[in-house]
Amino acid sequence: MTGARGKSMVLWSVVIFNLITLSLPTVIILGASLTSGDIVEFPPAGLSLKWYGKLWLLDNFKDAFWRTAYVSVICALISIPAGTLAAIALARFRIRFRTTVQVYLLLPFTIPLVVSGLGMMMIFGEIRILGQLWPVGLGLCIINLPFMIWAVSATVNALDDELENAAANCGAPPLQAFLTVTLPAVMPGVITGALLMFILAFNEFLVSLFLTDARIVTLPVSIYNSIRSVITPDLAAVSVVYIIVAGVAVFALDKLVGLELFLKSK
Amino acid sequence: MKHSFRYPLAWRLLDWAEAAAAAIWPRRWASLTGYLLLMPAMLLVFVLVIGLIYIGENSLHELDIYTYRLKEAFSLINYRAATSATYQTIIGRSLGASAIVTAITMVLAFPYAYVMVRAASAWTRKLLLIALFLPFFIGQVVRAYGWLIVLGKQGLLNSILTDLGLPAIKLIYNYPAVILGLVQYMLPFAVLLLAPAITAIGEEAELASESLGANWIQTFRHVVIPMARPGLIGASVVVFTLTLTDFAMPEILGGGTTDFIANAIYDGFFQISNPGLGAALSMILVTIGSILVTIIFYLAGTGTLGFSGRRP
Repeated sequence: MTGARGKSMVLWSVVIFNLITLSLPTVIILGASLTSGDIVEFPPAGLSLKWYGKLWLLDNFKDAFWRTAYVSVICALISIPAGTLAAIALARFRIRFRTTVQVYLLLPFTIPLVVSGLGMMMIFGEIRILGQLWPVGLGLCIINLPFMIWAVSATVNALDDELENAAANCGAPPLQAFLTVTLPAVMPGVITGALLMFILAFNEFLVSLFLTDARIVTLPVSIYNSIRSVITPDLAAVSVVYIIVAGVAVFALDKLVGLELFLKSK
Repeated sequence: MKHSFRYPLAWRLLDWAEAAAAAIWPRRWASLTGYLLLMPAMLLVFVLVIGLIYIGENSLHELDIYTYRLKEAFSLINYRAATSATYQTIIGRSLGASAIVTAITMVLAFPYAYVMVRAASAWTRKLLLIALFLPFFIGQVVRAYGWLIVLGKQGLLNSILTDLGLPAIKLIYNYPAVILGLVQYMLPFAVLLLAPAITAIGEEAELASESLGANWIQTFRHVVIPMARPGLIGASVVVFTLTLTDFAMPEILGGGTTDFIANAIYDGFFQISNPGLGAALSMILVTIGSILVTIIFYLAGTGTLGFSGRRP
């Protein structure tokens, strides 16, 4: 037990337990979506793709899907300038009360989502933008903004500031140095962050629940509403959409920056 | 033929933009540029601050049960209601569940992060990373739905039980189901926060420990875990606070039997239509969360959770 074999046996049994726990819901949803029966049961009545065929007939899910995509794009588009500039400011400029600013910018993580959602619901209601779609994107951007700042910070901190000094030395005015040196260098971080913001907005449920109503319901809320009634295989097929989107996102992240990046020590 | 010389378009555009930038933001304000760049993010986050003020204001007004509006006069009656025995139970349950979920998640996440970081083969590492990121990118609702299919009355586990001739058992809408759902949800967060801390531990420290005669359990206890402390603290804080404030898992897998504070807040607003009570519960949740985070940051520093990599 205390030898090298014992070590890998103990560690790997925990890892395998984790792998099963992590993937079981995904695998089971994939399985359930392929049933030819009318209810979710085990073993499935038979294999068929009929629920995927029906997916395109479900207008409410289709609409919810496009609304979710729209909201997620808005979220990513707002976060790109806001998060990038904030990360550069924190890494490159002298900021008084730096710690206070950092703690302040982490508020979206420290304020519970339920409270953030309620607060934004009240404000958006007060200024009469509740019930529109773009404020949902704005709200989802606000609650996940630290992820964007983190992603860009990682690349700015890795960038040698002598490069910017060299550009200035060669006569580049500030804007040119920023556009031709800093910005291209932090691009990987910006892309990673924007991808994270998109996928998190695509999945965000609780804040979406507060900021949407029956007319502009987004996919996570729509799935939640269906779960509370009857569990039918069409819902599994809808959920598979999420699995596919997540798969594409993981693939893209791996190709863009490599998943191993997340193992690096700071 | 006379040929008039012109700079390329991109150069002229850039010069024009540079002049415009200099006109809007003169050089002598350069020391303030950092604050200008911070402004969009600060304004976005300010929305949450206003929201918090709104909720705080709401919490100080009693509900008029005749008009179903909040009364004008200030009172603390919502806080009395929010600390009654019913809500004490819910607050206690949330705190207890957070402690349990944090403990289980850390025990499960640490070996995963360790094996992933130390994996000899790049393929193993990639596989473990993908297994982690895929659920991370699948939202809580879909994962909870997956668990409903696994644990439900006609679900996977119960159909296995009945096939074995055993009676079906109720596996959902109870406390353990919520804990299971939450642990599964928190695992990727915990592993991703632990992994950099484990990467920072040089393998030679472990080799040194082992060459001095320690077995792997002793090495873990006295070398690896103490050296990974910043990561363990960061990951625990995140898992604890995310669990404390969770809504979806208790709602979907608990089915109303295992309400957490967030569920009570939601019900306060939308079921019993008492925004004052919901707001008071929100303020209590924010207070508990902030106190816990402040204590931990005070004891351990924001180190693993801060934005800037360099220490000032």
